[in-house]
Amino acid sequence: MPKRRMPNSDNAVVVDGVRKTFGSVVALADISFKVGRGEVLGLLGPNGAGKTTTVDILSTLTRPDRGHAEVAGHDVASDPAGVRRSIMLTGQQVAVDDMLTGRENLVMFGRLQGLKKSQARSRAKDLLDHFDLVDAADRSVGTYSGGMRRRIDIACGLVVRPEVVFLDEPTTGLDPRSRQSIWELVSDFKEAGIATLLTTQYLEEADALSDRIIVIDHGTIIAEGTADELKERTGATYCEIVPRDMKDLPAMAEALGSLLPEQNRAALTAGSDRIAMPAADGPNTLAEALYLLNAASIELVDIALRRPSLDDVFLALTSRENGDTSAMRVEPEESEGPSGRHRLERNGDTPVTRVEVGEPGDASGRHRLERNGDTSATRVEVGEPGDASGRHRLERTADTSATRSDAEVLP
Amino acid sequence: MSVASEDKTTVARGAFGDVRRAASGDATESSARRLVPHTSILTARLLRRWGRDPATVLESLAMPVALLVTVNIVLGNGISQLTGHSALYGSVPLIAMVGAMSGSMVGGIGLMRERTDGLLSRLWVLPVHRASGLLSRLAADAVRIVGTTAVIMCAGLVLGFRFRQGILASVAWLFVPIAFGVAFTMAVVTLALYTANTIVVEASEIVWGVLMFFCTGFVPTHEYPRWLQPIVQHQPISYVVEAMRGLSLGGPVLAPVVAMLLWSAGIAAACAIPMAIGYRKASMRG
Amino acid sequence: MTDIAAVRPATSTVQQWWVLTVRVIKPTLRNGEFGTQVAAPIMFTVNFYLPLKQFMGAFTQGTSSYAQYLMPLIALVAISFAAISAALRSATDSVQGIDRRFKASPIAPLTPLAARMSASMYRCCIALVVSLACGYVIGFRFYGHVAHTVGFLLLVLLIGAVLALLGDLIGAANKNPEATTPLLLPPIFVLGLLSAGLEPVERFPSWIRGFVRNQPVSQYVYALRALAGDSTPAAGAVSWSVISPPLIWLTAGAVIVLPLHVLVSTRRR
Repeated sequence: MPKRRMPNSDNAVVVDGVRKTFGSVVALADISFKVGRGEVLGLLGPNGAGKTTTVDILSTLTRPDRGHAEVAGHDVASDPAGVRRSIMLTGQQVAVDDMLTGRENLVMFGRLQGLKKSQARSRAKDLLDHFDLVDAADRSVGTYSGGMRRRIDIACGLVVRPEVVFLDEPTTGLDPRSRQSIWELVSDFKEAGIATLLTTQYLEEADALSDRIIVIDHGTIIAEGTADELKERTGATYCEIVPRDMKDLPAMAEALGSLLPEQNRAALTAGSDRIAMPAADGPNTLAEALYLLNAASIELVDIALRRPSLDDVFLALTSRENGDTSAMRVEPEESEGPSGRHRLERNGDTPVTRVEVGEPGDASGRHRLERNGDTSATRVEVGEPGDASGRHRLERTADTSATRSDAEVLP
Repeated sequence: MSVASEDKTTVARGAFGDVRRAASGDATESSARRLVPHTSILTARLLRRWGRDPATVLESLAMPVALLVTVNIVLGNGISQLTGHSALYGSVPLIAMVGAMSGSMVGGIGLMRERTDGLLSRLWVLPVHRASGLLSRLAADAVRIVGTTAVIMCAGLVLGFRFRQGILASVAWLFVPIAFGVAFTMAVVTLALYTANTIVVEASEIVWGVLMFFCTGFVPTHEYPRWLQPIVQHQPISYVVEAMRGLSLGGPVLAPVVAMLLWSAGIAAACAIPMAIGYRKASMRG
Repeated sequence: MTDIAAVRPATSTVQQWWVLTVRVIKPTLRNGEFGTQVAAPIMFTVNFYLPLKQFMGAFTQGTSSYAQYLMPLIALVAISFAAISAALRSATDSVQGIDRRFKASPIAPLTPLAARMSASMYRCCIALVVSLACGYVIGFRFYGHVAHTVGFLLLVLLIGAVLALLGDLIGAANKNPEATTPLLLPPIFVLGLLSAGLEPVERFPSWIRGFVRNQPVSQYVYALRALAGDSTPAAGAVSWSVISPPLIWLTAGAVIVLPLHVLVSTRRR
């Protein structure tokens, strides 16, 4: 009796509590995620984070030690054959027979997946057309360029329609044009309703292609969300203005008037060389600032909107995972009592965050962290009771993937 | 069977078409029905791949032929004086086995390379019979051995080798080297799967070198020192040579064939499980 | 801050030569190549002597034993094998591009070659010593003068040197280490087998006797047999007519190969 595919869930890939150890190295420590049908999930992480191990498990190349994983409704442990029928895997290496021609490779992969010879031949022809490899079809793959090899690699995986596609760093080492064609391919997959799990180190690739991104480091998921959500987490857009003359700063601050919030104004010290202020309206804020400063005839060297890129997200997230202790500083703005506003300084720069202490009178315990006016429900646990000043441990619980940053607690 | 209904997309771009797997009621990849077609496709791949490297092919044929000619020149007269028959009845089968065994190394190293390149993993992830990859290597090797034997036979014919036992025996003669040749390849492949260093596989050259020099096909048994004679007589290549001598010149065939099959079966049995495990390990990652 | 780009010391050709030589030799002590270098002559001895001792014994024209007869060929085959490894080394170097790097450094152009040759001679010495040990085991002895014995050793090493040079040249020109070795082994075996080293010329079919007698391997073997001497007069006396052919072959070889190799080595592309 043929096994039923996609029984109840709408998900192409389900990973639940998977754990994998290689000897003493924990490659994956309890990860869980889902990929919906037709969704592109980007798996982001530094080398050794566990991305390839995840893909290996989902493509039946590795068995998980614990946990449960399903691809296209087939369990990877109990029905690996079913998984193999449903997937296409492209690894970091191009894995086709480099002494056969492109056409021969395609026909072979087709026949291995059950196509009759004539069917395989015509599929090969279609794929060669689509991937623009007709001229090279009868040359051995060993003579192909890097981009062509990657294309034939992917083509071989598409002779029969997969339901889930695993792309493991597909554009590493490719020239921009080839990379572009791979990107187009991923959107083709999406349109065709094929789920894609994409691992990459290129942040702009994850940004451009993925519906959702999962950030993995040291075998755990440290962040999950859309690219925009992740960027928001690191801090919203702010506007940075650099005057030609540093002495103009106070004049600038005055000229900007209400555009420049109190905290930022207060943050200006004698040594500041620029003004950073929140740009809630994005370009509009910038235009307004420019207008005001122009009216005050203050010469500028630079004015720009800075938005944390996915790079910043990535670095911020992974560096925190590494126990980066220069995390946060909470300074009470009112000297008496922990209640009220505090300035939250992160890594030395001031992203203008506000800490409202929920329980007055006690510095220890939960505090609500309000950022730039929105409440992303973050918790600040103060390490040293009785003193709100100094460094505190910041735990962010915007969603259930609790990110922690361990800050050093000063005496 | 088909999940076309679940897909709501209307896109039928060239890349995807509407091709589904040729499903059937018994769709599991590891059913016996799948074994033969999958294995034959992969065997064809290997043969095509080997054929594309003419330098290696030439070298793997030229070396044994040169060796045959040389050995015949050096020892031919002496042996025919001793035995009353042409030395070729011993040396041609011997060199055929040398050709078979020296080629095993090439297959082993090729396997190691495919492992490093990730091709083994790629094939593992395809819905093919789990045993087809390994069996295809052995099948391709059998074809190679027959080919090498045929070429060396032709060289022997030029030098004066003649079949004297009829058509059936002559045809059987051609296929005798397969039994031990494939067993030897199994040993080499097993070695290749458990090491990352090609030198280890190249060291298998020493093995067939020794087997060649201490074989009844090289010089007659009684020429060897007394204490060596039992070893020379009972080593597997000697049995192959004697079986083939019987099929071409005349003499006992059954006894050497049985002994040869015992040797081959023994080696094959010893290697089978480690080889299967090793192939799986080489294809999977952890 | 310390001065990273410190004063450049003067280069010493001798030191460079030594470093490069050690560079070739050191890995062999680690990776098992030393094992093959020792095993090869043993294998040749076992493979040639045991099967043929009785078979050839009757034909060896009065030599005291087949071991005495066979020994020179064993030494030669062992030396050739060592020389092939030299070729492989140089081909690997050129493929990996390290010789290109050397050419761009303040190393005298011939130093890498000299270093490879030294390493090859080291290999040849090992091959010679092991061969002699094997020969001793199977019954070979030096019967001649000390001068003749020294001559034997020198001749073998000289042959090794020229072969190593040839092999190195082939490797450097060929640039494909994997294809080089299989190309070089068969000619060695064929020349070795089709020589007077294994059996007397008269045992060969008449049409090939001329080749067998006059090819360089046979000439080397005659000279080495004479130099080693024997308890019977069968080995022949050490005379100029016996010694000169090998020397002529060697000189011819060196004269052709050496300038070619210098050309290839010093070529700055």
